[in-house]
Amino acid sequence: MRTKGTAGRIARYLLLIAVCAWTLAPVAWMISLSFKGPTEWYAPNIVPAQPIVDNYINLFIPTNPIGGSHFFTSITEPITKPLINSLIVAGLGTLFAVLVGFLAAYGVSRYRAGGTFTIFFTLLTRMLPGATFVAPLMVFYSSIRFIDTYVGLVLLYTAVTLTYAIWLMKGFIDEIPPEWEEAALLEGASPWTVLRKVTIPLTKGGLAASALFIFILNWSEFLFALVISVTQVTTLPVQISKYVSAVGRMYGTQASIGIIATIPSVALGYLIQKHLVTGFTFGRVR
Amino acid sequence: MEITDRLAQWMGKTESFKKLSTLPLSLILNFVLIVPFSIMIYLSFTKWEPLAGYDWWRAPIAGIPRFIESFADARLAWALIRTAIFVAVVLPLEFLLGLGMALLFLGDFRGKKAFTSIILYPMMMPWVVVGLGFYLMFQYFGPVNLLILRPVFGEGAMIDWFTDPVLAFSVIMLADIWQWTPLMFLIIYAGLAAVPRRLVEAAEVLGASPSRILTTVRLPLIKPLVVIALIIRGLEAFKVFDIVYIMTGGGPGGNLTEVISLYVYKLAIVYNNTSYACAVSLIIMVAIALITRLAIRPLEVKVE
Repeated sequence: MRTKGTAGRIARYLLLIAVCAWTLAPVAWMISLSFKGPTEWYAPNIVPAQPIVDNYINLFIPTNPIGGSHFFTSITEPITKPLINSLIVAGLGTLFAVLVGFLAAYGVSRYRAGGTFTIFFTLLTRMLPGATFVAPLMVFYSSIRFIDTYVGLVLLYTAVTLTYAIWLMKGFIDEIPPEWEEAALLEGASPWTVLRKVTIPLTKGGLAASALFIFILNWSEFLFALVISVTQVTTLPVQISKYVSAVGRMYGTQASIGIIATIPSVALGYLIQKHLVTGFTFGRVR
Repeated sequence: MEITDRLAQWMGKTESFKKLSTLPLSLILNFVLIVPFSIMIYLSFTKWEPLAGYDWWRAPIAGIPRFIESFADARLAWALIRTAIFVAVVLPLEFLLGLGMALLFLGDFRGKKAFTSIILYPMMMPWVVVGLGFYLMFQYFGPVNLLILRPVFGEGAMIDWFTDPVLAFSVIMLADIWQWTPLMFLIIYAGLAAVPRRLVEAAEVLGASPSRILTTVRLPLIKPLVVIALIIRGLEAFKVFDIVYIMTGGGPGGNLTEVISLYVYKLAIVYNNTSYACAVSLIIMVAIALITRLAIRPLEVKVE
């Protein structure tokens, strides 16, 4: 829409600022709370009067006082383990999804492997609410002793992000002219060599973007982590839910764990900014 | 070597490659999805629960009592209705707000890139943290009460958001709108920006007003894109779990903001009512599969 004159321009900027304020508000408040002491948790000031980092320290040493006062909660475990768990599970899940997904995407793109069933099936797994898998999954996983194990969670993460992996990477592979690969094939190279020497070098950027996108999804995943973890594989989102239910009105601590969980995913998200829409629509919109 | 031989050899290689390329995918899907899916179908026809005292595979087939039970389950019906309301409120609002923002961003102005970057970060955030953020914002001593309601309407206007089911559910919907409007905005904006300039100019020459150009030129052109965005977002919104779990856990009143995913989760994990959870899951899955079958046609159209 073309805005005419100064009045139009001012109106546009006022609206833009309003939208930005609305977008920034929840995170700005969390950042503010995370640097506030207990005396300011229930106060309306946005800039902390006495900024402290005790909330963050308390996450790593739960017995540490916040702003001079001690809090006794049911949470005794430092955030270190959930943080490392999140990195391990999200990282490995991403690695497998990218490996398996790339191979499948390449087969679908170049050789029409799998047929329409695979395509429908992968889409369907994205459409079904994860919660509908919880009951049988618990039964299955307890039978094979996969509950509270990294293997169990990583396998799940791989399976649920494969749809994204396949569709995203299929888009990047489709962009390469197949003639280049055919030329190499006719020269006598095996499909594996072509994959290694031609396709992967040409799709590197796309593969990296897909991997980062999937990592963000895994990093944010909550339901399966909540169900599968008992004590060993608790991830960061699960730890956050514990903080919300267990520490009552310790707003500062709750806010600081939220900020810690947000930083990696938003930082990576900005790296792949222009691929986000493609990602969330599994390549349907690009 | 004859060229035909080499071709045959090449064909042989690609044939085996074709099979191998989707093998890991099938293995994983079978292991993590098909096996639980089979267990789900089996258990939904039994009356098994973890405390039954015998292993699940020994559970006798009991027929369809679990499915009959589900038809009389008012809590299930309410969870479904609430989820439907959630989708019906959130989806049009995200679309309209996204459209409004896209119109606001059309054309050139200073700082466009910066504004776009600021606006799109919510969708990168973990859903749980979005829930936490809105949970903190709408606490009794949160900024909405302290910075907006109290200064404007006085002490008596402060609201205990999470004790009232309607208000609590509104906050949940608001969190979803906050997180996903940017995605709608980006999709619609990309579509609108790709509408050929000459079409808009032609309409302008013919004397059409900006609102008429929007409804008769721009929107019809981006319709396929919007349909895809709405289908994907609608199905995702139906799955809502994280933000409800974090903010209310289904409360107040135990289950007054409970959505379908949360109810199925509680059936399986909290109440240990495994075979009933399986039956309910099966019903939902069949329903979604039917919807997906219908929705997949527009999804096959690729929008560039």
